[in-house]
Amino acid sequence: MAEITLVEAVTLALAHEMEVDPTVVVFGEDVGVNGGVFRATAGLQQKFGDDRVLDTPLAEVMIAGMCVGMASQGMKPVAEAQFEGFMYPMVDHIVNHAARLRHRTRGRMNCPVVFRAPWGGGIHAPEHHSDSNEATWAHFPGVRTVIPSSPSRAYGLLLAAIRDPDPVVFLEPKRIYRWQREEVEDNGEELPLDVCFVLRDGTDVTLVTWGAMVKETMEAALELEKNGVSAEVIDVATVAPIDMETIIESVEKTGRCVIVHEAPKHCGVGGEIAASLAEKAIWHLKAPIKRVTGYDTIMPLYRSEMNYMPSMERIVSAANEILEFE
Amino acid sequence: MAATIASFKVDFFQFLDEEGRLVDGVQIPALARDTKQLESLYRLMTLTRVFDKKSVALQRTGKLGTYASCLGHEAAHVAIGSAMREEDCFAPMYREYAAQFFRGVKMSDVLMYWGGDERGNDFSGPKHDFPWCVPIATQCLHAAGAALAYKLHGQPRVAVSVVGDGGSSKGDFLEAINAASAWKLPLVLVIVNNQWAISVPRAKQNTARTLAQKGIAGGLPSIQVDGNDLIASRWAMDKAIAAAREGRGASVIEMLTYRLSDHTTADDARRYRDQDEVDSAWKKEPLLRLRNYLTDQGHWDQVKEEELLSDCAERVNAAVEEYQDRINNDPQPIDSMFNYMFKDLPHHLEEQREIARRFPAKGGSH
Amino acid sequence: MKTFNLPDLGEGLPDAEIVEWLVAEGDTVKVDDPIVSMETAKAVVEVPSPYAGKVAKFHGQAGDVIKTGAPLVEFDTGEGAGDEKAADKDGAEPESSERKLEPQAVEPADDDVGQTGEERADTGTVVGNVTTSDEVVRQSHSSVGGVKVTPAVRALARKLKVDLGSVEATGPEGVVTSSDVRKAAEQGPTRKPAQTREAQPSREEPRPARRQADTDSKPEAPSGEWEPIRGTRRTMARAMSESHARVVATTIMDDADIHAWQHGEDITVRLLRSLWAGAQAEPGLNAWYDDEQNMRMIHKGMHVGMAVDTADGLFVARLKDVHSSDRRQMREEINRLRDNAKNRSIPPEDLKDYTIMLSNFGVFAGRYATPIVNPPCVAIVAAGVLRHEVVPVLGGMEAHRTLPLSLTFDHRVCTGGEAARFLKAMIQDLQKSQ
Repeated sequence: MAEITLVEAVTLALAHEMEVDPTVVVFGEDVGVNGGVFRATAGLQQKFGDDRVLDTPLAEVMIAGMCVGMASQGMKPVAEAQFEGFMYPMVDHIVNHAARLRHRTRGRMNCPVVFRAPWGGGIHAPEHHSDSNEATWAHFPGVRTVIPSSPSRAYGLLLAAIRDPDPVVFLEPKRIYRWQREEVEDNGEELPLDVCFVLRDGTDVTLVTWGAMVKETMEAALELEKNGVSAEVIDVATVAPIDMETIIESVEKTGRCVIVHEAPKHCGVGGEIAASLAEKAIWHLKAPIKRVTGYDTIMPLYRSEMNYMPSMERIVSAANEILEFE
Repeated sequence: MAATIASFKVDFFQFLDEEGRLVDGVQIPALARDTKQLESLYRLMTLTRVFDKKSVALQRTGKLGTYASCLGHEAAHVAIGSAMREEDCFAPMYREYAAQFFRGVKMSDVLMYWGGDERGNDFSGPKHDFPWCVPIATQCLHAAGAALAYKLHGQPRVAVSVVGDGGSSKGDFLEAINAASAWKLPLVLVIVNNQWAISVPRAKQNTARTLAQKGIAGGLPSIQVDGNDLIASRWAMDKAIAAAREGRGASVIEMLTYRLSDHTTADDARRYRDQDEVDSAWKKEPLLRLRNYLTDQGHWDQVKEEELLSDCAERVNAAVEEYQDRINNDPQPIDSMFNYMFKDLPHHLEEQREIARRFPAKGGSH
Repeated sequence: MKTFNLPDLGEGLPDAEIVEWLVAEGDTVKVDDPIVSMETAKAVVEVPSPYAGKVAKFHGQAGDVIKTGAPLVEFDTGEGAGDEKAADKDGAEPESSERKLEPQAVEPADDDVGQTGEERADTGTVVGNVTTSDEVVRQSHSSVGGVKVTPAVRALARKLKVDLGSVEATGPEGVVTSSDVRKAAEQGPTRKPAQTREAQPSREEPRPARRQADTDSKPEAPSGEWEPIRGTRRTMARAMSESHARVVATTIMDDADIHAWQHGEDITVRLLRSLWAGAQAEPGLNAWYDDEQNMRMIHKGMHVGMAVDTADGLFVARLKDVHSSDRRQMREEINRLRDNAKNRSIPPEDLKDYTIMLSNFGVFAGRYATPIVNPPCVAIVAAGVLRHEVVPVLGGMEAHRTLPLSLTFDHRVCTGGEAARFLKAMIQDLQKSQ
């Protein structure tokens, strides 16, 4: 069993599934010879050939549209958008077609496509390379939005996404692409979609997050522990549809909730979770629900990037604020 | 009945060959005799190269973020910038520093941008020029929009946009051609074909013989030139801009060159291309042939070259100092994230600005 | 004197090794002249000089590892020391006034930093800088109500609607694995403890002592071996903990004088009947309490949850309709329960929905007890060992058979008075001859 990073786990999952399922193809810019700009597809073209891993012309609309075409004809394309910030031209084909195909043909056709993209900020990149707009995708019915936060979850969730018969937007937190290694067995075992992962048990406050913010949130939990506060940490993983059951169960136990996401606050996925909690768990809440998020500004260039990203201090501060309520 | 009702041809132009000799058997443009101007343009090309090299070194020493080098593109870029008037509008992608320097953008502006400070986009030079554009080929439609604005207002102004060989595959580029054709826009679209879109070679973008013919398909006059030949590139630009300004519509120029550098400082082209190809491209590089030509004409020599290089070094160092001074002694405050969201700051952002002020990031970045 | 610290070579790596110095101490260098080759994870990078001046002092030799940000080399940058003003070119090369047909060495040259020539490690990105670390993490098991499980398996259980408490764990150290969960899922969604149908003892074979390693460093080894608690025993641990956390338990004890009973009287049936008698006097003890919604349901009928001790462990099995059963029916119910227990086949529906509880430990030892109330019930009665008690009666002493009783009730919702009256009614019924 190898100790691998998150981006290597992506490669491992792709290699596994391409081996067992000949209908899986990888489709995107620089994915073949170069192995992807983050090396997520490294070695795949060498192993499977250029009719399974295709370097495309530079055209995102083409990539999205053709993947809808391929998927509807019995293939399982895994498209790569080079950065989430370059996915926007794909909205037309993802929303108007991939998300709708099963529904509008009453099940006659379906669209088993995965749109993968490196997502989120924190690598000191030039502008447009640090977006985290998962709420955009999450808002569209008919397509799932999945965000791994560890090598093992990247492996298992990507397998699940590829195998799922419906479209998935798979956003990979590039800031933690190589942050840690984990033992991941290449056993082809997928992890379930549509459920949260409880990473840490606690009794005093529930911290809900996903993606790279899992890092800061776990750090915050440790910091809170020093003051005798026991924090439960939940990794939502699938932000659409959301497993509210796990979150509600946790809040029933703790009575307090802080939601953390890098994406801007307004209409972020945190709002959806907060509203659901208010709807279904209000009698268990001992304090207001807090959201610690990116600001409603454009992501600044890298010199100010870390002022934008939610920090461990902000999370701890929010938790402490609501712990004062009783 | 069957008849050929349309066919096309694409002409290729080169006036200065790789050795720096004027080509035989063609009418040589007047610019070739304007050695004063050529010398001035050569100086700008050299300055850009020295600046470019320094920028890469800054990134390597941790003083600059990711940087996109323009090594090898100097003739094409200088031709573009120097053919434009100040009132014209330039919509670059992200490498055309020489064109921008000609138009008044400062070296330190470029450094500020890649150094992670938005003030770089608020650069010196024409206020109507577009900032660097990362989403590929989107600048072509912005230029088309600017061109339409000038046309609607009856202004004799031209919009110029640059796109790469990779960008020419993108819908935005094709839609810009289409729009330019439909509306007879005062627009010049320049494809700076440097043969590589990160790791994807030109042959993988499409199998058309030229990229210029995409313009012909859209109804625009389109030619191909040797982008490392300053004379040919500038001549083509002059013609295209004149046509646009005189209301004869848009055109496409494909400038053939070679990306001698990596795609950005974080890329390593040796992963995907042969050193032989790069070495061979060096033999055709633009500064070399122009220098040889000027030397042949008796207008250039070793002493001038050394003086020029020394002068460029000084100017580049001054720019670096200006950049570092600004970054270190006058950094943008945290508020700057908020102050340019809208003309007036909406209420909900006031609240968030307060939070941001309370939690300044520890430590710095580069 | 200026110190040059090793910059971040663009990969976020913590350090780099000096391969070789490209200049010597005492040499004069210009800005951007390459001064040293450093080796990062995979390849060699040339570092250019940030200053013009004299190389004064190296802070390491070939083979030394320098941390990012730590001093690498010192420069003497005194005024006019070999700086840019000189006729030295910065990055260009000599040229004759004759044209040259070969490309000039404007580039590539030795000092062409980063474009060609020296190897660079793969940054693994095309923009920015992705932090790389070799720190290894492992998924930790969390303990969910006594069940050890990783986040991934816990999520799987959620997905397959499996109650982790009912899953037989086969992983090391009592960890529930994903196949355990899948196996449990095949038997349908579960909510309450499901007994196993296989014939296996509730105690496992001793496992290899994983904990022994921990004890190696301790002064005395324990005399036993750690083994995981599984199945019904684990369920019991969980249920008891939960009860303890929620119920405010108070116990009243008393005796019933049963000397008037006929010979061969069915003691269990009598106990059951007396419970109903108690409930008729004080229905509040035959009720359910929902402490989350703060609501109470007083039952019109009575189903008694009887504690049954089996080889597989402790179960609470339901005897239905005690309020409307006659003696014979009750006896049949009891027998059915006993048979099921012996066959290890108590059906799941008989493990829930009882309205009050009874524990008869009278076959063993013990007089009074403080039995545990299992929410949502609010009361449990425990009957101890029958004994002969010397009782004063008119004119003398008699030895009367006596049945000790303990009534534990949830004081959040029942009062002491209610409980006492319930017990009194129970005792009155028990003391009847039939």
